[in-house]
Amino acid sequence: MAIEYQPKIVGFLCNWCSYAGADVAGTSRICYPPNIRIIRVPCSGRIDPLLVVKSFQQGADGVLIAGCHPGDCHYTEGNYYARRRLALLRPFLEYIGIEKERFRVEWVSASEGKKWAQVVSSFTDELYKLGPREMTLAKGTG
Amino acid sequence: MDLGEQIRNKAKELIERETVDCVIGYERATDGVGARPLFAYKPEEVDRLIFDQTCTHNLAKYLLNSKDKATAIVVKPCDSRAINLLLNESQIQRDKLFIIGVACPGITKTGLNNTHEELQAACQICQQHTPVIYDFLVGEPPASEPDIAEAYADVAAMEGQSAEERRAFWEEQFSRCIRCYACRQVCPGCYCTECFVERLDPLWVGIRIAPEENEVWNTIRAFHLAGRCIACNECERVCPVNIPLSLLNRKLEKEVRQLFNFQAGIDAETPAPFATYKKEEVFPELG
Amino acid sequence: MARTGVFICHCGTNIGGTVDVSKVLEAAKSMPTVAYVDDNTYSCSEPGQASIHDAIIENRLDRVVIGCCSPRMHENTFRKTVATAGINPYLLEIANIREHCSWVHGDDKEAATDKAIELVRMAVAKAASLEPLFSRQVGLTKRALVIGGGIAGIQAALDIANADYEVVLVEREPSIGGRMAQLDKTFPTLDCSACILAPKMVDVAQHHNITLLTYAEVQDVKGFVGNFEVNILQKARKVDHIKCTGCGTCWQKCLERTPSEFNLEMGKRSAIYIPFPQAVPLKPVIDTEHCAHFKYLEAKEEGRDLPDCNICQQLCPVSAIDYEQEDQIISERFGAIIVATGYQTFDHSVYHEYGSGRYTDVITGLHLERLLSASGPTGGEVIRPSDGLLPKTVVFVSCVGSRDEQKGRSYCSKVCCMYMAKQAIMLKEHDPEVQCYIFYIDIRAGGKDFEEFARRAQEEYGTLYLRGRVSKIYQEGKKLIVCGEDSLIGRAVEIAADLVVLATGMEPSIGAVELAQRLKISYDTNNFFIEAHPKLRPVETNTDGIFLAGSCIGPKDIPESVAQGGAAAAKVTALFSQDVLTTDPMVATIDPMLCSGCLLCTQVCPFNAIDTQVTRDGRTIALVNETMCKGCGLCVASCRFGAADLRGFTQQQILAQVTSLWR
Repeated sequence: MAIEYQPKIVGFLCNWCSYAGADVAGTSRICYPPNIRIIRVPCSGRIDPLLVVKSFQQGADGVLIAGCHPGDCHYTEGNYYARRRLALLRPFLEYIGIEKERFRVEWVSASEGKKWAQVVSSFTDELYKLGPREMTLAKGTG
Repeated sequence: MDLGEQIRNKAKELIERETVDCVIGYERATDGVGARPLFAYKPEEVDRLIFDQTCTHNLAKYLLNSKDKATAIVVKPCDSRAINLLLNESQIQRDKLFIIGVACPGITKTGLNNTHEELQAACQICQQHTPVIYDFLVGEPPASEPDIAEAYADVAAMEGQSAEERRAFWEEQFSRCIRCYACRQVCPGCYCTECFVERLDPLWVGIRIAPEENEVWNTIRAFHLAGRCIACNECERVCPVNIPLSLLNRKLEKEVRQLFNFQAGIDAETPAPFATYKKEEVFPELG
Repeated sequence: MARTGVFICHCGTNIGGTVDVSKVLEAAKSMPTVAYVDDNTYSCSEPGQASIHDAIIENRLDRVVIGCCSPRMHENTFRKTVATAGINPYLLEIANIREHCSWVHGDDKEAATDKAIELVRMAVAKAASLEPLFSRQVGLTKRALVIGGGIAGIQAALDIANADYEVVLVEREPSIGGRMAQLDKTFPTLDCSACILAPKMVDVAQHHNITLLTYAEVQDVKGFVGNFEVNILQKARKVDHIKCTGCGTCWQKCLERTPSEFNLEMGKRSAIYIPFPQAVPLKPVIDTEHCAHFKYLEAKEEGRDLPDCNICQQLCPVSAIDYEQEDQIISERFGAIIVATGYQTFDHSVYHEYGSGRYTDVITGLHLERLLSASGPTGGEVIRPSDGLLPKTVVFVSCVGSRDEQKGRSYCSKVCCMYMAKQAIMLKEHDPEVQCYIFYIDIRAGGKDFEEFARRAQEEYGTLYLRGRVSKIYQEGKKLIVCGEDSLIGRAVEIAADLVVLATGMEPSIGAVELAQRLKISYDTNNFFIEAHPKLRPVETNTDGIFLAGSCIGPKDIPESVAQGGAAAAKVTALFSQDVLTTDPMVATIDPMLCSGCLLCTQVCPFNAIDTQVTRDGRTIALVNETMCKGCGLCVASCRFGAADLRGFTQQQILAQVTSLWR
């Protein structure tokens, strides 16, 4: 593991719950590691598996998807569908060699600033331990 | 009466009575050994229809071209599941089809160096020798289906390896992909007007033939078939660089079965796993 | 070629104190499509917005990126800013470098700056793919639905009705009035609660613009602001309320007795009943579970024999009793909904140290209200529930089910300090010989005249306030021994009480969570409904057209509930003052060339907003109804063909954000 390794994390957060929860972490000034880059989406159900796979392809060491707790989706059902899609995607990515620890799905509500900070902290720590995600063959190819 | 003869008799009846416009079936290939698809419009063309253990092609793919016309088609059990899939996805209409289902003895391995005696990998673990949908059944359905306890043995073996081993394995496999898209062309589940791999806006997969691009291509195609792949295994057969695609597709098939208790193509009515959900379901896979 | 302007806000020192804004500006200059960069101290202020406006015009910018606070804060503000400068308001992207950056990485300024640069880079990448979007207009139904007939709901209904709009008030109990109807006197004025409440209840019943549906519940809600479609379940009262005159013969003659819910099971009511004498509507319902006639019918079906009873039906002078009456579903259209479902009290049986609810003479504040009330189970005589004797020593215990993390209720219920003081005063008024003790942690008396009131309880009415918690209550003979502490003198204290009153906390009413899920509004970990913004938008939710009032949001007293009822009504009347509503243009689209008609999107859309259409070449494909679409994007994620996309969050835009990172 390189000394300079800083995990690169992409986070897809739903506007109504998890993004608001991350905002609350901000208003509460709760500190957490700065590695995550948050992309706002309207709903966790908006997340196309293509985006997850592309995120890893573009260099992410970890991908986090955060949505409303099941039952509380602003659009009623979005996260139920997301839950199914991601429950299938996670073991599949693991199967092709992307450790399941690199792909996290969390339910964070609009008031859970503390939980958000904990999620990011623990995810970042875990990715430090796992090391960078590298495609051994891709290194050096044009 | 052998299978071919039963099919010819039925097909002739359908053509002569003009019940269908075309019968899609198999005929002897030009090498005299294998089979190839046949589109029979006239009675004399029907005479060329055969059925034996070389009839590997999934003819359901061709139904997507003849949506308006009444068509008869010869299907093996796996192919018949493809018909249910296409019905479920509103791609074909039941009343335009006459399905000649074949109780299949299994297809042997094709190719120049094969003795044509060993069954294909998919046929070795097949648990469904009777078509799931048909209008006319040809052949004797077996009394019982074999209980292949280890239908997912190779998938399980892959799961048992370490992440690094799996990563190295798939990188190696995907590095050989030449993006010929033969797998996609032969698959009845792949019928998108514009495949995601060909889109420029957004550019999901670049033009370069490189391992990281090939990985996106193969994994997403497999995921687009999750809960839809009916395991005919044609994709793996036609791959010119022998990528073990069934090892990918059957992993998803196994997960879909476990997570959603769903098998693709068994009928045309059950909603696809991604078209529905249960509020109470809990997935330990999400950690 | 796009010309993007990047504006970084210092937000005073909120951002500028942690993030090196000049470095971010420098980095932004070389980002693709960026034609102009600038910073502002407070971008949202008038001079800040003006500088952005001028920069757009002077530099011929056609899209804008602002690095500032959360878009949930000021996206709408800046949309207006860019619109006044002539740019389509949707050609704006915000980089959240405050809540998601400077405020959470204050411990590492370098990392915060690097991250801010990356967040801006993502926003610039997305902005390059943004397209102008245009709203549409849709009509609205100027009718309001108020859910909950407590004081907040009553006030809201009256205010909307007085503004000359129609209101339907739905209450699940047989009468409106809520918790306030159960109170005896209210602090700090010691007004009789029923006396100040009853006129408002009657106003509701008589108002020509208000339709009152009691014994009814909201079953499901579809639609969107201006156009909600609601199914209301009118439970069968078994009494025809149009014929009924409220003469009272039936409930006086009914022979069945069952504990009265209104009196918290301390008294009895009949099976055909009104919950309390001032009930509105003053018309009874039959509790079929305890009615002899319905028990007879049930027994008959099971082959058992029970005597039948038709007393109420026989005696009713207007033949209003209708045993065959069925539940009804009433479907109505509304333009706005106000949720005022109120609270219930905490169940103190989890406090095993206080007897787990076993001791009859350990009661709650609400129980005491019923005992104090002249129309309560004891006619206003405060007697011990166990033996009917007058209590001479009464001990109050504060914060039971509040400020207690161990019991899962860490919040303060706000009103208990005041109602304990009030109840101590009332007890002394009822019986000058009574001595009241209040074990407290703090005395929270923040409202107008509240502090003076609390002092009166001590100085004029001799209530002894002991600062300390109660560790145990147990029965000894006829007395209840209360073991507590007086921390100001540092001693343990034991009081042999005749009556113990637990100041139990407020929590949301039963069914609050289910209702929230039906309405698709948010609720917090304590099941209170969440406001759009706790400071600036206290009666709105994040769902357009649905408003909140009263203690369903959080513990509060009567004046606050009334104020919120009025505030919510004002929001509704503002909404109704428009003739058309403008829809959000960030909706889904389906490319008819790419759609293969698999119709998976129609199955997953939570709002049934996707129909089908037949193309000229005979294909049946999907088509989005833009008015119904709420922009969730489920269809996009479900579409393998890439036919569905979501304006404002397109596949290309999100991919551009991902691809821009770590270059």
